[in-house]
Amino acid sequence: MAKVVSRKESFWDRFYIPALLIGLSVTLKHFFRSLVLGKTKTIQYPEVKREYSQRFRGRHFISIDQNKIENCTSCYLCQTVCPAECITIVAEERDPAQNPYGVAKEKKPLSFDIDALRCCFCGMCEEACPKDAIKLSRDYELATLNRDEAMYDLNYLKREVKGRG
Amino acid sequence: MSETAPKPTITLDGKCIPFEPGDTIMRAAERANLDSDIPRFCYHPGLPVAGTCRMCTVEIEKSPKLMTSCSTPATDGMIVHTQSPKVRQSRAGVMEFLLINHPLDCPVCDQAGECSLQNYNYEYGPGTSEFKEQKRIFEKAETKKLSERLTLNMNRCVHCERCVRFTESVTKTNELLMNHRGWKKELTTALEEGVFNEYQGNIADICPVGAITFNDFRFKKRVWFLKPKETICDGCSKGCSVFADEEKNIVHRYRARENKAVNGHWICDAGRVSFHRRQEPQRVVEPLLRPTGSTGLVASNWLTVLPWFAKAIAEAKKILFVLGTDTTIEEAKALQHDFPQATFRMLNGIDGINTSKDDAPVDQLLRRKDQTPNTRGLEELGFTALDGGETGYELAIYFKSGRAAARSKKLAAIEVAWGVWFSPEITDFTAVIPGLSHLEKRGSFTNCDGITQSFVPAVTPLGMASSVEKVLHALNAKSRSQSKEALHVPL
Repeated sequence: MAKVVSRKESFWDRFYIPALLIGLSVTLKHFFRSLVLGKTKTIQYPEVKREYSQRFRGRHFISIDQNKIENCTSCYLCQTVCPAECITIVAEERDPAQNPYGVAKEKKPLSFDIDALRCCFCGMCEEACPKDAIKLSRDYELATLNRDEAMYDLNYLKREVKGRG
Repeated sequence: MSETAPKPTITLDGKCIPFEPGDTIMRAAERANLDSDIPRFCYHPGLPVAGTCRMCTVEIEKSPKLMTSCSTPATDGMIVHTQSPKVRQSRAGVMEFLLINHPLDCPVCDQAGECSLQNYNYEYGPGTSEFKEQKRIFEKAETKKLSERLTLNMNRCVHCERCVRFTESVTKTNELLMNHRGWKKELTTALEEGVFNEYQGNIADICPVGAITFNDFRFKKRVWFLKPKETICDGCSKGCSVFADEEKNIVHRYRARENKAVNGHWICDAGRVSFHRRQEPQRVVEPLLRPTGSTGLVASNWLTVLPWFAKAIAEAKKILFVLGTDTTIEEAKALQHDFPQATFRMLNGIDGINTSKDDAPVDQLLRRKDQTPNTRGLEELGFTALDGGETGYELAIYFKSGRAAARSKKLAAIEVAWGVWFSPEITDFTAVIPGLSHLEKRGSFTNCDGITQSFVPAVTPLGMASSVEKVLHALNAKSRSQSKEALHVPL
C-alpha cells in the first residue's frame, strides 16, 4: 500500500533567505580562492592547452622513415580490424627502379583514406599494424569547418608528428 | 542372387572408409571427404605424387615408421591415425624446419589468408624455434619476374616443387626447374624467356605459399575480403568451372574449380583474366537511343527506349534477330518464343569461326579456337549461322553478352544492339539496350563436348543493365495493356 508522505514545509523552509545565504557563501568562497589565492579549476583554453595522458588517442598519423617514405606497406590489417570501417586503402607496387628497400617495401599505399567522422578512436588499427605505421597522436582538436576536412588522405596522414603527439 | 564382392576398406581415425584398389591413403581420404585432416604441401590431386614434403605422414598400425599418406597404397584392413601424438610431433618438426628460412612478411604477402604454411602453422606448428642463426636470403631473387604474368619471391618458397611438376606433367613445357641443392636450392627457368605456357595462373594457384603470385591479382586485394562464387568461364567453348572471387560487386579474380568432366583442376590464362570484360569502363550500361535526325547516340532511360522498341517491333514487317553465340539457352528460347515473326540467326564471328565445325582444340589441354561459350548449344536449338545473304529486313536486333563479335556490315535500316556491348562497337546502331554479362545472370551453356552446364549470378548487374526476362516482360505488358505505366513495374 502506498505510503502518504507529507510535503509540508516549515516556516524557515519557506523563508528562503538562509538557504540563499548558504549558497552565496559557497560562491564567495570559490571567488576568493580563485581570484586572491589563484587556485583555479578551469584553464584559459585556446591559449592554454590541457595536458592529456601519454596514451591519449587523438588524430591519426602515419609514421615516416628517414627518407620521408611512409612505413605503411598496405597490408590492410587496420582496414580489416577497424570496427567503424573508416579506413579505405588502395595498394600498388612501388616502382622497382625507385625502391631502395627491396622486398620490405615493395607494396605501398596508392591511397589511404580515414573518415574521421566515422572513427571511434578505439586504437585497434594502431594495435594491428605490423609496421607501426598508423598511429594515433595526442592531438585532440579535431573540429573542422566542413566534412571534407575530416577525410584524412595519405598526404595529410604522412605529416611529421613529434614524439607520439 | 549374385553378391558383389565387398569393397576393401581402411580405418581412418576410427572411421571405416571404402576405397578403390590402387588408391593411396590420401586418395581414399579424399574420396570420403576426410582429407582435410591430412596436411600437405607437395601433394596435389592433379599432379604426380612426389612425397617430398613429409607433411602428410600418418601413423599406420603395425608399421614401425610414419608413412606418407600421399604415396602409401591403401590395403584392406589398414588402421590409420592422422592425429596421434607421434604424427603431430612429426608435423611440428616439419613446420619448424620449413619456418627456419621463411621470411616473416605475411603482411605484404598476397597469399596470407589462404596460405597452407600459415594455416598448418596455426594448427601443427611448434610456436617456437630453436634456430638462432641468420636466415638464408636470396639477395638477387627477392622478387623476380618469371614471365609477364608471374612473379617469384624465392625466399618464401618451401620447395614443394608443385610448380616444377606442373610444367613437367600438365603443360609438358618443362620451363621450371630447381637449381642447386639443400640450403641453396632455387627455382629457376630453364630458358631466358622465362615461363611461356598458357596455363601460368595455375602455378600461382597451386603454390601453397606466396612464392609465385599472378601479376593480374598481385597486390589488388587481400583474400579474406573476397567471397568465392561458383560459376563457369565464358572465355571459350570449353566452359571451365571457376570460382569468381568477388567483393562489393566487383570480381577480382577467377580461380580454377575442380570439375573432372570439363577442366580437371586447371584453367587457361586467357580465361583467368576474362572477367575484366564484365567491368570494363567501355561497357555500355545504360540505354542509348539515336534521336531522329541526330548523328550520335544519346543516353536515355528505360521509359523512353522500351516504348520506342515496342513501336519499332510492331511497325517492322521483316525482323532479323541475330543471337551472339554467348547467348544462354534459356535466353535464346525466350526470345524465339516472344518474337515468332522474326528470322533467327546466330553469330560467332571471332577469328572466322561460324559454327561448331570450325572449332578445334588449340593445345592438348583445354584451350579452344572458339572464343564464345555456347555455339554448340544454339546449334542444338536449331539456329543457323548468319551467312551474309540476309537482305530486305526493316529491323535487325543483335543480341550478345560480351563474347561474340559485333556484326560486320549493316543488314537493316534500323539496327538495335541488345546485351553487353562496348562503346567502340555501337557507333552505327540506332539504339542500345543494356543486358547482363554471364556473371550477372543465370542460364546454361553447352560446351564443345556437349556438356550443358548451368550457372547462377555471381554478382549483381552494373548500371542500368537489365535481364532479358525483364525487358520481354515489359514489352509484353506494354502490348497487353497499352499503358505506359506497365513499363515501370519490372525494371
